[in-house]
Order: sequence, then C-alpha cells, then structure tokens
Amino acid sequence: MKGARRELRSVTFRKEREAQWQELDALVERALKKGLGTLNEAELRRLPVLYRAALASLSVARRTAMDRALVDYLESLAARAFLAVYGSRKGTRGVIRRALFVEFPRRVRAMAPEMALSLVVTALGAVVAWSLMGVDVGWYDAFVNPALAGGRDPHASTEMLRGALYGEGGQMEGGMLSIFASSLFVHNAGIGMMCFALGFAIGIPTLLLLFTNGLMLGAFLRLYADRGLLYELCGWLLPHGIPEIGAIILCGAAGLHMGRSMLVPGRRTVPQSIGDAGRRASMVVLGSVVLFAIAGLIEGLFRQLVTDDTIRYAFAGFNAIWFFGWLLVAGREPRRPKRPAALPTAKGSGA
Amino acid sequence: MSAAAETDVLPKGVLEVVGPEGVPLRFEAASVAERFVAYLFDLFLVALTGIVLYIGGFIVTVATRLGEPLALVIALAWLVWKFYFIGFELWWQGATPGKRLLGLKVVSEDGAGLTLDGIIARNLMRDLEVFLPLTILLAPDQVFGDAPWYLLLPTGGWIVAMLALPFFSREHTRAGDLVGGTRVVRVPKTVLRRDEAVRHSLAPDAPIVDAWTFTTDQLGIYGEHELETLAALLRDAESGKARPEDLRFVAHTIARKIGFRGSAPEEDPRRFLRAFYEQQRAHLERKLLFGQRKASKLDE
Repeated sequence: MKGARRELRSVTFRKEREAQWQELDALVERALKKGLGTLNEAELRRLPVLYRAALASLSVARRTAMDRALVDYLESLAARAFLAVYGSRKGTRGVIRRALFVEFPRRVRAMAPEMALSLVVTALGAVVAWSLMGVDVGWYDAFVNPALAGGRDPHASTEMLRGALYGEGGQMEGGMLSIFASSLFVHNAGIGMMCFALGFAIGIPTLLLLFTNGLMLGAFLRLYADRGLLYELCGWLLPHGIPEIGAIILCGAAGLHMGRSMLVPGRRTVPQSIGDAGRRASMVVLGSVVLFAIAGLIEGLFRQLVTDDTIRYAFAGFNAIWFFGWLLVAGREPRRPKRPAALPTAKGSGA
Repeated sequence: MSAAAETDVLPKGVLEVVGPEGVPLRFEAASVAERFVAYLFDLFLVALTGIVLYIGGFIVTVATRLGEPLALVIALAWLVWKFYFIGFELWWQGATPGKRLLGLKVVSEDGAGLTLDGIIARNLMRDLEVFLPLTILLAPDQVFGDAPWYLLLPTGGWIVAMLALPFFSREHTRAGDLVGGTRVVRVPKTVLRRDEAVRHSLAPDAPIVDAWTFTTDQLGIYGEHELETLAALLRDAESGKARPEDLRFVAHTIARKIGFRGSAPEEDPRRFLRAFYEQQRAHLERKLLFGQRKASKLDE
C-alpha cells in the first residue's frame, strides 16, 4: 500500500484470516451436505484446527470488531463448524458393542434401587393374583387377557393345560413358529420401550404396567399350580422367561429411574435431571431390546421344539448364567490400574 | 446452556450452546412446523421401506411356502421403524433425511456432542408423544377402556401438557428432547459480506487518503449503532438499492450534526460517507483498545 494512513485494525484482522475461514467454510459445507466420510484424512485433521482458529477469531471479533457483517459471519461459521465437528462425539465404530457390553450392564448396576422396586412391584402383582386366585378362581379372567391366554383358563381341562406346555394340539410348526417368534419379539420390545417412556409421567404408569404384568404372571402360575403342573410350567416358562421377564423389569426400572429424577432432582433443575436420567436409562432399554430378541427366539423356536423337562431346566440354567453374568460382571473396570482398556466380553456370549 | 441470568437476554427461539472450547455459540431453534414437516418426510420413508419389505416378504413366502422370510420381515420392519431415527442421527451427525432436507440438526444441549444414549432416549419418547395421542383419537377404548373419570382426567391432562410442550417452551423442546438432553436447531447459513472499510470500487492504485479528515471531536459523537446503520446504507448503495437522494440526505444530516464545513456532502455524498465511515470506525476501534466502548450516540 502506498497510502500514508495505516489500514484499519479490523481490516487487517480480516485480511490475515479470511483465507482460513473460507477453507473452513468449504470443509464444513461438504461435511454437512455429504457427511464427514467424504473428507480425506488430511482434511479431517485440518477441520478441528481451523474450527478452533475460527472460534478464536470470533472471540476477538465479538470484543473488538466494529464490523457487524464480520461478526455475524463468524458467528454463523463457528456455529456451522460446531455442528460438523461435534455432530456426534465419538467415532461410531464399536459404539454399539461398547454400549451393549460396557455401558448397559454398568447402568443396570447403577440403578439398583429402581431395579429392586421394579422387581418388588412385579412380585407383588404375582402374589396378589396368586392369593386372590386361592379365594376364587374367577379372578383369573380379570388378570389375564383372554386373547393372550389362548384357552388356557380355569375352565380348561388339566390335559389341555398340560398339552399347551408341550406344543400338543399342534397348531404351530415350521414357518409359523418363526413368525410367532418375531411377532412376540416386536410385541414385547414395544411394551418394554413403553415402560421406559411412561416414566415421563413420574413413573406412575410404569408401576401400573409392572403390577399388571405381575398379576398375569401370578394368575398363570396359580392356575397351573392348582392342577399340580407347577414344575412343568416353570420348565416351559423359565428358558425364555429369564431374558423376557428380566428385560421387562429392566425397562420398568429405567422408567422408574426417569420418574425418580423428576420427583427428586437434587441440586439440578428438573429438565437437567430428566435429561441425565433419561440418557442413563435409555442404555438399559437398548440392552433390553436385545434381551427381548433373544427371548423371542427361545420362545418361538426352542420352547416348541424341546419338550423334555430336564433339557428345558438345563437351558434355563444356562440362560440364567449368561443373563446374570452380563448384568453383574460385564463392563467392570479391571482391578489393576495399568491394564489396557480391552474388557472381557465373553460374559455376553450367550447372545 | 448458559447461566440463567444470561439466558434471560436471549430472544425467544434462540439457544446458546457452549462447546468444549468454552465459546458460547448461538443457534436458532427449529420451529414446530419445520420439525413436523421433517418428521412427516421421515415417516413417509419409513412407511415406504416397510411396505417394500412386506411386499417382498409376502412374495417370497408365497413362492417358497416358507414362513421364515415373513418372520424376518416382521422383525426387520419393526427394527427399521424403531431404529431409523436413532441410526441416522447417530451416523449422519444428528440429522435424519427429513432434517437434512429442511436444514435441521440435533445438538446436545450441554454442547458436549451428541451421544448414543441421548439419541436413543429422545427417540424412545416418540411413541408416547405421537402414537399414544393418535391411538386415543382413533380408538379411545383401547387406551382408556372403562376407566373412571379420576384416572381419565390426570391422564388426559398429562398427555395434553406433553403435546403442548413444544409450542410453549422457548426452544420448542419436545418431551424427547428433554429426556435426551437435546435440542433441534437450524443449520446456520454463512454469508461473508464485503467489508465497507475496504475500497472495492476504486482502482487498486487509487490513493486511499481522502482530501478531508475529521477531528477527534467530530468522531466522538456517533457510536457503534450508527456506524452499523451507515455500513448497511453503504452496502445498499454499492448494490444499487439506495437512492442517491438518500445518501445526500444522510450525508447532510451527519455533516450538520458533527459540524462539518464544506461542500463535500452535497457534491459527492457517497465518497464523503465512506470516508466518514472509515475514520469513525478507526476511531471507535482505537477507543476500544483502551476499553472505552460507545454503543450509540446516546452513550456517555
């Protein structure tokens, strides 16, 4: 410049950095329109560097620049770049695996009180139904949806009840079994998700849902116990019941966790508290969906094909081992501090 | 979110996210209408996928007389239905196809970046928010049965409150956003406008010194607000949107206010205004270096 007067500070400021901003703008444009995957390695490394430089420029410009246009530009550039850089925090590779085998069991263990309440309410429902059935078997119809019972009610003969456990009166075979299995999975997982979502109403509907579920279970158990078929029923119920009833109790606990966060937010505001609890609980629901899928497979396939009580009990025992191993052991930090972060995932291999 | 005191000055529908770098960034919250349209679009895609899956499943089932393909389709369609939003928001950095179409994005409210648990939580609430009310509208018996009024009333009230939430909360937060700790924002657009202190219209070798200079007293009258208004006018003049008589009028007003003597405002108002803008800006920036800020002419 030949001029006698110096250039404006803000003009120099902009001139020095404008090329960097444009570079960032172009990268962000591509990242937002076509996804981060379209950037090559060098560009990916450049992105956060440029983003931080733009943030620094913005901070300076907010304080010192007299050019509104410049400040507005930097505001929107930084905000756009934020969306590209912090769109989803972690690399997505391994996220699901980590969520299932580390986060899920940890969150379950951290929710012990809700888990206990969920279990107690279900058990309470079962005990109430069991006792009332002792007074009058007519209560059965109040607890069990006839559509789900499929004729297994107090009017049925012992033979028929027994037959239902061993797939006699065989209406199901081959392909129908698999359709039945996936319908069950869809139905149950939907209920589990609802159990969580209803926690948003301070957990009251969740409690009701758990209680009615317990009533159904208790009524069913009593119906078979009265005919001396309890051992056979448990053999039929437990293999899929461990993951399935377990998952419903987990989802219920997740809903209760959210409800609790609304009632007792502690030092945080209620919205903050719900947000934290909701995120913790959602991991439990994710794991439960996997449990429902496993239960659906067992329910639809195994239970109809294997009719030997001993094998059924053995399989139930196997399910109990991986189920509780997954929830209670997986994802624990190794004792020694200097171990690599690789965590044993074999506990969940029953899946 | 920033501290409550700062939030109060934010206009409605604008939210502030503080990233890990500690610089607060402002976003416009997406409106309920935009989000609804994006949701409808996504819903359409999900339904389409479901229909295609089911048709394919039926054809294969009929052709092979096996039940397994249909069983697979039932589970697959359900998974698509439930995990469409979760999957896209996870792998497309917080945007489903519908959101991308409308230029929306999910951000985490604490600025730490979207996490899997937040995405799952916000999408698990959707059933409750959309399909429970829908079921109640279409088949109330299925939900309420013959429930007594003392159960109906709180339930109905709760559902209405939940549905009304996005309309009344300042950031159009729905229940799922609350539970996931997320917000939906518009992706801002960037336009770098020209710097009016740089002489674009002059030849590169033209002298940048003007014949007239303003005294410190003259420059001490106006503040940032007026400077900004002047910049906007100059920008309009450059693009031909401002009429010459407007420029003359403004130049005349400024000259009178600061006590400028001479015929410049009459003869070449544009050049005069530009010179005044430059020197005024330099003056304000210089003062700012010493910590003296002048927001407008009313300041001080």
